[in-house]
Amino acid sequence: MPETARSGVRSSFVRERAPRASEAGYIGGMRALLVAAAAALALTAASAAGGATKTTCPAAWVSGWQALANKIDAPVYCPTWMPNPLDAQIKGQYIDIYSIGKDRSYLVSFLEHGDEGSGDVHVNFRGYPGRTAIPKCPGPVAKSKPIPCFSEPVAHMTGSGIRATVYQVNQGADQWHILLAWHLGKSLYTVSEHVIPPYQFSTQVKRNLQKLLNSLVLVRPGT
Amino acid sequence: MKLDRRRFLGGAAAAALAGGSIYELVDKLGGGTPARTVVRNLPPEQHVFDLLSTTSEGVEVMIPPLHSEVITAQLQDVDLLKARGELEDVLLQLDDAYDPSPSGLGVTVAWGLPYFARVRTAADAHLPFDTRANKAVLLPNRRFPSDPEETILEDNDVAFLLRSDDADHIDEARKLLFGLSFLHITSVRHGFAGGGFDGKQSLPKKLAMAAGVPGADLIPNDAELFLGFTSTQKAGLGPRLIANHETLGFVDLRGGYFHGGTHMHLSHINEDLEAWYLNFDFGERVLTAFTPGQKARNNQQTVPQGPKDVQDVAQVSAAYAKTGRIGHSAAIQTTSRLQADVTGPDGTVYPKGTAIPQRADFNTLDNPFTFSANQARDKWSADPSAGVHFVVFNPSGDDFERNRLAMDGGLPGKKLGLEPRSRAQGFNSVLTTTHRQNFLVPPRRHRSFPLAEL
Repeated sequence: MPETARSGVRSSFVRERAPRASEAGYIGGMRALLVAAAAALALTAASAAGGATKTTCPAAWVSGWQALANKIDAPVYCPTWMPNPLDAQIKGQYIDIYSIGKDRSYLVSFLEHGDEGSGDVHVNFRGYPGRTAIPKCPGPVAKSKPIPCFSEPVAHMTGSGIRATVYQVNQGADQWHILLAWHLGKSLYTVSEHVIPPYQFSTQVKRNLQKLLNSLVLVRPGT
Repeated sequence: MKLDRRRFLGGAAAAALAGGSIYELVDKLGGGTPARTVVRNLPPEQHVFDLLSTTSEGVEVMIPPLHSEVITAQLQDVDLLKARGELEDVLLQLDDAYDPSPSGLGVTVAWGLPYFARVRTAADAHLPFDTRANKAVLLPNRRFPSDPEETILEDNDVAFLLRSDDADHIDEARKLLFGLSFLHITSVRHGFAGGGFDGKQSLPKKLAMAAGVPGADLIPNDAELFLGFTSTQKAGLGPRLIANHETLGFVDLRGGYFHGGTHMHLSHINEDLEAWYLNFDFGERVLTAFTPGQKARNNQQTVPQGPKDVQDVAQVSAAYAKTGRIGHSAAIQTTSRLQADVTGPDGTVYPKGTAIPQRADFNTLDNPFTFSANQARDKWSADPSAGVHFVVFNPSGDDFERNRLAMDGGLPGKKLGLEPRSRAQGFNSVLTTTHRQNFLVPPRRHRSFPLAEL
């Protein structure tokens, strides 16, 4: 499991930005490149949001997701919509974490960091091939026992043939995020988004997550 | 008495308040006013404000007034005796107009150290003394271990606490007070509490949603306060006279001028609702608010805290040794609950485990105040922010300090090594105190400019 902690920035107790671990990948540093093209792509993707569900991973994004599926030898979910201004291009300008664990679990994170106080847009995708149990994370204080990485289920959402559970309290890289989790076969998948301006209300984030859920398409390995 | 709203007095503070605010929504959104009994007799104590009770999840809880407001002021150069007469006239008008209950109006006048410096000779002779602590009852302001360095220690002469279910009653009291030319209003602090005991949406939820503060959508629909737990259960509040200086026997009244008085602490605390609801799941919220190992049904808001549920130093220490953290209520109970039966001077027996402090705290969307005369110092903003105006009555300032230190892990005879504002330190990781001041509340007979006549 990729234990990559990326803190939120708003809490007094998670204010320090934790190091970004990357077990088997890279952390994007290409944000300065292709800004205009990516923005155009994001807008194109956004225009599809909430509307008709695309049936294939966008051409500009598919190679990265396909490579991921091949690498872990398991299906992965490619979004066809992302909250503005993000795209979901692995190796693109918004990639923040790309991490694959020895157990083939992965974390793919996209981030737009507003340095001028405009806030962050931050979306994480996870997959845990071959396991359905919610993983454990370190507890919040030194003597805490490990706790579920995703807890406080508050609702369900459906979309793209998926019935996901909405988790409100999440750990590690998903701290301060609202998270959707679901099973495909014997595997667990999640997508989450940070509750922070410009999406500062959980209701806004849940709307985005519903759109993300509606937009997911499966990318199978070796295809 | 029904004053004309347009005869609103008070200069800058009045102008600032006249523009309307989120609080005007209280009456539009608030639904019904709780049924109250009418109280005719004014108690000798200013701080006594009798509330009705109801049942919440099987626990008896007091129904707080819907609206509360604190007005702080400094005194202009003033003839104290003349001002005393003018203030007393205003207070008598309010006494005549309103019953001293939530259906009418509660008025509590509290005086700070800067005021008593103006009557130093009489104060030296008459201010009560805490013999348990070997300290004055009214202590200089201080910061506590979990307070940031930025916490402002205030220097107001006087504070007026106004409480009612009817916002108009508070408006009218404010108008009269603003008309007193010797008061330089330094702040107005407004807020609300309650609703929700009937299962309907509570005021804090409605107001937070209407104001659009971060985390508002995460507050339970019927929560009495922003943080989602009922804090006015009867067993958790001091009974009627226990906070009087004289009741528990550790205050020397030195002649009795302040018999029936009490100590009041006033602070403003920001609450990070998103941190609370997005980083603490329900189980962790329960153990943080109460104690590690606290049992509660899922989404339970009113968790019994009766005398039998009270924890002592040994229990809190053991829980800390095992879990590395403390719960808010349990830590404070080591000092806020009686450690043995006590018989008051009127013969009332207060059993072991009885709560001492009488809290009158209320939620707010002030940032940090509705009005501030010193916006730069107070870091005032028009943007609403979730918080609490914390008002509490204790027999002495030291008694308050014991409770506040316990909240940080400073238990009687034992200091737990908790990092300030860490998640292990109870609520402190989601609370930030912006302002503090201690006050003394004289008995009603001396509420206006105490000691000035001597």
